Amino acid sequence: MFKRQILLECISALLILLFLYTSLSKFMDFKSFTDDMNNQPFPNSWTPFLVWFVPGSEILICIALLFERTRMAGFIGSLVLMTLFTIYTIIVLLNFFTYIPCSCGGVIRRLTWNQHLVFNLFFVALSITGLILQHRKHFKSILITQTNSFV
Amino acid sequence: MKKFKWTIMTLVILFSVCSAFSNRKTFNPVEYYWNGSGYTQLTGDYGDNFACKANMAITCTYTFDGAHYTPYRTGQWVSTILTDQKTDRKSTK
Repeated sequence: MFKRQILLECISALLILLFLYTSLSKFMDFKSFTDDMNNQPFPNSWTPFLVWFVPGSEILICIALLFERTRMAGFIGSLVLMTLFTIYTIIVLLNFFTYIPCSCGGVIRRLTWNQHLVFNLFFVALSITGLILQHRKHFKSILITQTNSFV
Repeated sequence: MKKFKWTIMTLVILFSVCSAFSNRKTFNPVEYYWNGSGYTQLTGDYGDNFACKANMAITCTYTFDGAHYTPYRTGQWVSTILTDQKTDRKSTK
């Protein structure tokens, strides 16, 4: 139980590190990020929405992961976002688009697309592990509460 | 356990904020590209008027400090013509 809790804290910490760093990097270099978004293969009319939605949702996930009551939502959000990034990376690697610069925050923009895929898959796996551990913990606490109410 | 949790979280938050600050770009320099025979100053905005196609092996744009041209962005340089093609391609979808 204690080991699982430590593992959960470490997984949450790693995800917070990733999302907080990348979202802050995007906000600090907002013009570059907007330019990169304009250069993506989807319509430029989406840019005003995406430039706030992507880093905004990353910060919300960080806040959710910080607190025990919202951690499950944080893991779900993290899994959804990382899965979307991974699907996008796979589409890029399959040469579906011919015109794609990287649009990542901070030093992560220096990764190649192959490295990006491995990086994203690692964080998808981390989110799934966190989600399973958190779910088990939640289920156990319900079981303990119900047992106590019977006794 | 709570002490352990909040110590880790505080460290992680501090590390993220410091890293983001230390890696931020403090200015937007004038950029140049190699046109095959010399360096040409770029006008307009990256993403709107020119772009760098994903390719880590080549240099896309350079900055000039008065004496030397230093690599700035990686990728294959593409002009506004391709950006327009991108817009056209989108509009036909």
